[in-house]
Amino acid sequence: MKKLSKLFIAVIMGVLAFFTSCQKLDIKPVNQLSDDQIFGNESGINAYLANVYRNLPIEDFRYGPATADGLEPSETGFNPKHSWKHFYHSGAATGEMVGPWGGLSIGGGFGYWPYVDIRAVNYFLETLPNYSANYTGNRVDELLGEAHFLRAFYYFGLAKRYGGIPIVKTVQNYPQQSIEELSVPRNTEEDVWNFIGDELDQAYNMMPETKVSGRANRFTALALKSRAMLYAGTIAKYGSLNFVEGDAHAQGFVGISADKAEGFFAKSIDASKKLEGKFSLYEASADLEQNYVDLFLDGNNKNNPEIIFVKGYNPVLDVQSPHSWDATFSPRYFTGGGDPRSYPTLDFVERFGVLDVTNADGTPRRYNNLSEVGQGREARLKATVFFPGDVFKGRAFDDPSNTGVFDIRRGIYPSFTGKAVDEAYLTAPVSPSDPGTARPMDQRIGNNGQHLQLADDINSKYEGRTIIGVTGIRTGADNMTRTGFYVRKYINYKTPQKQVDLFTSSTPWIEFRYAETLLNRAEADIETGQLDDALVCLRQIRRRAGATEPTLADMTVEFVRNERSKELAFENHYWWDIKRWRVADSWLNNAHFRGLMPYYVLSEAKYIFIKERETFDRNYNFEKKFYYEPIPQGEINKNSNLAPQNPGY
Amino acid sequence: MKRYSRAVIWGLFIMAAVSSCIKKDNFDGPNASLEGTVMDETNKIAVQTCTGNFSIRLEQIDWSDVPTPQNIPIKIDGTYKNSKLFAGHYRISLFGGAFWPTAPQELDIRQGTRLDFQVTPYLYINDFTAELIDSTTLKLKFSLAAPIEGIPNIIDIQPYVNTTTIVGPGASISQYSESRRLTPKSPATVWEWSTMTPAEKSPEIIIPNMLRGRTFYVRVGARLDDTQKNSNLSPVIEIKVP
Repeated sequence: MKKLSKLFIAVIMGVLAFFTSCQKLDIKPVNQLSDDQIFGNESGINAYLANVYRNLPIEDFRYGPATADGLEPSETGFNPKHSWKHFYHSGAATGEMVGPWGGLSIGGGFGYWPYVDIRAVNYFLETLPNYSANYTGNRVDELLGEAHFLRAFYYFGLAKRYGGIPIVKTVQNYPQQSIEELSVPRNTEEDVWNFIGDELDQAYNMMPETKVSGRANRFTALALKSRAMLYAGTIAKYGSLNFVEGDAHAQGFVGISADKAEGFFAKSIDASKKLEGKFSLYEASADLEQNYVDLFLDGNNKNNPEIIFVKGYNPVLDVQSPHSWDATFSPRYFTGGGDPRSYPTLDFVERFGVLDVTNADGTPRRYNNLSEVGQGREARLKATVFFPGDVFKGRAFDDPSNTGVFDIRRGIYPSFTGKAVDEAYLTAPVSPSDPGTARPMDQRIGNNGQHLQLADDINSKYEGRTIIGVTGIRTGADNMTRTGFYVRKYINYKTPQKQVDLFTSSTPWIEFRYAETLLNRAEADIETGQLDDALVCLRQIRRRAGATEPTLADMTVEFVRNERSKELAFENHYWWDIKRWRVADSWLNNAHFRGLMPYYVLSEAKYIFIKERETFDRNYNFEKKFYYEPIPQGEINKNSNLAPQNPGY
Repeated sequence: MKRYSRAVIWGLFIMAAVSSCIKKDNFDGPNASLEGTVMDETNKIAVQTCTGNFSIRLEQIDWSDVPTPQNIPIKIDGTYKNSKLFAGHYRISLFGGAFWPTAPQELDIRQGTRLDFQVTPYLYINDFTAELIDSTTLKLKFSLAAPIEGIPNIIDIQPYVNTTTIVGPGASISQYSESRRLTPKSPATVWEWSTMTPAEKSPEIIIPNMLRGRTFYVRVGARLDDTQKNSNLSPVIEIKVP
């Protein structure tokens, strides 16, 4: 018995061991999703595309344009995780605002190189057709069209930074392909813009009109085409006049010949016109100022007719999702946490018209209270920036104990006589690039021998009165305004004060809105001499803004550029605009920007406003090489076909 | 005692076993050097420059087809030196500077390699004088001359005043320097050399309110609208304010 059982066990063991080889080891890895799972049904595709959408080069609230001046690498680029320093805004290096940048620190960019994301799109385009049996109707085509849009968006993010870069349309594989095969050379800048145009045409033809939250449709493709082709047109037109010589320019990797401009402008106009009738400007309220404020807070409203594409922040789905715009652009006095550091300049505000704060003889006008200075201004301006004395609607983030007034005062003059400009300047300023000579603060005596009183502490007093306002202007710190203004665009007045803190704002970012399309069309129109059509567009924009009616004589390049700078302020357009117009090196030629400084004149019990340099008086200088960013040297080391480097680096 | 020696033997054994993990590379250290002077071609003297104005760019082309460029800044006396370079074949060019462009050169850099550059500035600043016209007011006179016609436009002309001999763009006192800048009459934003009047080519700059009892170093520069927007600079003059 004992023997038998031993034998029995041995045989069983032997047989088992023998037959294990018949079991093929083909269990799929359980920690990876297979193509079947992703491409086999719509929910897999949604998950796959969510990642592609998340990485799109959308310059939203969180976008960090360069690692410099205290912005860390982890806070730079698109969608940095857990970043709250939104005041490192591209507008704060270019004179829309002044902010924490020490100067024009964003010129070299941050080495954006999204070929991983482009590969994800290419993989999608190559793999999805294998699963077409799983989808009904032309759903596969619709999805492929969406992928073409996404690919175009990534190339747009590259082209506006580097000019010509390699166009990669297929999935690359290593080590199956050799290094030589994988070292794709640069395409010319013209080829890249044409590729973007073609991709968007394909996207438009294949995609549906249906609106799905957070996803693109055929109109989104048109909106991007309208923008991208305008960029290409102006780069061809102005980049051929103002450029940096170098190998990359000689070989066409940067720069487009001027005769191509017309074609690009025509494509832009064509795309913009296709959106006509599908969208319109947001005109929900008869109160133009309130209407313009609400436009930016109404991004989640499906019935907002102006919105073409938004990026949402959903704290329910992802606790790290909310941004900090409200807390980092409002004075601490109105919030539950956070501090601001970027402030609109007077130079920006005066794009809406010169502020009449001085009399004809040059003496400052006297005001009974602060708020008079902001009265009677264009509704759009008042909805874009807060003036001294403005009252925060709904009592300052909803706190009843808070008076909600932007109490912005820079100091006290015991008495004041004479001209404003003499008090602020030794030699008068002409423009930001020719900024005159500021009078040193210790020589500021109100033209009559009594020193101006300044303070760094909001509780400091002179003759029983607080010297500065509770929302600025301090002498030494930048957590209160440096210019006399605060940003109002996108500030959500409906949030209770206590809830306004870092990582609590979920106002969606409007990436494409119809107003931009109208401005694109008007600009391309004017560049190609179609003034009547431009007038149609700018009339709509200005009527909604509460501005005066434009005339045909107004239809100049300067006018449309100014209109664009006003309408799209703080939306991360301005930096790219002044670059593609090739004016940045003259507009930001050792430029200094100004603020509007409110002072109290004690002897008269009145307020005066003086236009003078912002309190940090920083210098902003644009070097011509910044018209293109340098191709990351690490990438050139990996792929020598990316040489030559862009000129000037 | 025995136990101790055994430990030593074991230790030696481990060291011998692990020694094979150490790779010794056979590249030389950075023992080559390059130095030289950037000379004005006509006058055969070192060019007038300042901190950060321009540099020498090195690209080691025997190492890689697309080498990472490496810059050597030009010192204020027009010389440059880097004594910690890797020996090899380099492409050397001038990077920046308000000169007529020069072609890059290729060169083997070894120990003690010298390379002087001959350049022609866009502008000479001639007859530069600085004098106190009263106890605290400084008057600067000079004239601009272009050795070769067809220079880039001039953006501005400005004095640079500092309390050390290191003076120039980026190293000056703004009340005496930046704020005394001369710019073209609006609406023009640049001067075109061919249309500048003789008076504009020989300007005078007055700097008031110089601090008493200090020594200042003064020079002037004209900034040109080329790629780098660099300046041609005058020699430095020492001014003692009584």
